[in-house]
Amino acid sequence: MRLKLISCEVFTRELCDAAARSVHQVDLQFLPKGLHDIGCSGMRERLQTAIDGVDTSLCERILLGYGLCNNGIAGLIARAVPLVVPRAHDCMTLFFGSRQRYEDYFRQNPGTYFLTTGWIERGEATGELRQLSIQHANGMDLTYNELVEKYGEDNAQFLYEQLGDQTKHYRRLAFIEMGLEPDGSFLATARSRAQEKGLEFSTEQGDLRLIHALVNGPWDDSEFLTVPPGERIVTDFGGGLIRTEKGNAEAGAE
Amino acid sequence: MPTIQTLYDAILNGNAKAAKEITQTSLAAGANPQALVDDTMIPAMNEVGRRYEANEYFVPELLIAARAMKASLELIRPLLSARGAEPVGRVVIGTVQGDLHDIGKNLVGAMLEGAGFEVIDLGVDVSPEKFINAAREKKATLVALSALLTTTMHSMKAVMEKLKESGMRGNVKVMIGGAPVTQKYADEIGADGYSSNANAAVALARKLLAA
Repeated sequence: MRLKLISCEVFTRELCDAAARSVHQVDLQFLPKGLHDIGCSGMRERLQTAIDGVDTSLCERILLGYGLCNNGIAGLIARAVPLVVPRAHDCMTLFFGSRQRYEDYFRQNPGTYFLTTGWIERGEATGELRQLSIQHANGMDLTYNELVEKYGEDNAQFLYEQLGDQTKHYRRLAFIEMGLEPDGSFLATARSRAQEKGLEFSTEQGDLRLIHALVNGPWDDSEFLTVPPGERIVTDFGGGLIRTEKGNAEAGAE
Repeated sequence: MPTIQTLYDAILNGNAKAAKEITQTSLAAGANPQALVDDTMIPAMNEVGRRYEANEYFVPELLIAARAMKASLELIRPLLSARGAEPVGRVVIGTVQGDLHDIGKNLVGAMLEGAGFEVIDLGVDVSPEKFINAAREKKATLVALSALLTTTMHSMKAVMEKLKESGMRGNVKVMIGGAPVTQKYADEIGADGYSSNANAAVALARKLLAA
């Protein structure tokens, strides 16, 4: 089967490995990391544009290398070929290998910051995406010096305390080892970031199973949503996280 | 009185030090504390909200204006309490269980405080039981829930369920917010309202308590 995969670049190493070993022919397209920061409608528009740009005469399915990602995939419409999407809150489900394993870990370890090779080397959003981020649009991404310049020393201290670190209550930093790391440098980077932030450090064993299942199929409904042509993705927090609905090109997410 | 206009400006410009000093001077000169709140400070915060909606103000301006308002209110509130005046409403606010993010929650709390609500902030990773106990003990009329992640939104539903179980549901209104939260989700879990930003949260809180 010939498949097209549109994915966040945070999975570059994992998906290149999985595609190389897939039983199918998989064409890869990576989009920049950080789309979840530009708001759900911005992310949806970019993904829909990428989906609409696919030559569907050359593929039988379009796979999405995304989780729900702050509702960024809600509203996406399948055109001529079905879309296949993992039922995942975010990329961590794919790194952990299953939704259940990630949710269990999350419940037992609230306030964990995760790093993988992709999160380290593809780091923070830069350039255009940074300019479009919700943080930027709301004036929440200013450096301490910029805050001083704009609001004076007294307010700058207060604002930096309030806005400076989204993760200030986090307790732990976990490096998820996927078994594809070329050497110990990523692990060392993760460990030193934990030290800098004063967080407890742990290494967790990742699992490529779900990433392989994405490029291999057969896309069991318990783990993947298949969106038939003409239908769109909507959230379903009471059940399988996402489901489909009859499409409407004008309708956005909820 | 020229000082009134200046207190208005101090709040509008987020100058906490000036707001505090002017409030002290005005009170010493015999200003009516309730009138200061109603005629100057709340209108200043309303103007802050208007500028925010008009994209003239952003989150930092909201925060520093609310901070200036708070500096002034800290002097005024004891005087109002002594006269038996009640706050606009009592709000228990927190980030739900499993979620440790508080920028949005703090901003909503500050704006509600600035609008004259008494805000009981329970912090982050707050269990349903803690929300309910605090609402009961403090006789709150509003519970405000925040979540930044889709992985923690179910904790909002858990609070709604506990409220019903405990027989408290009829005593409080519930409003929810946070990046992944939607009106649709509020409807699904039976919350009374959803707000997409901190300024609209103030209007929503007023509306819910007026209903």
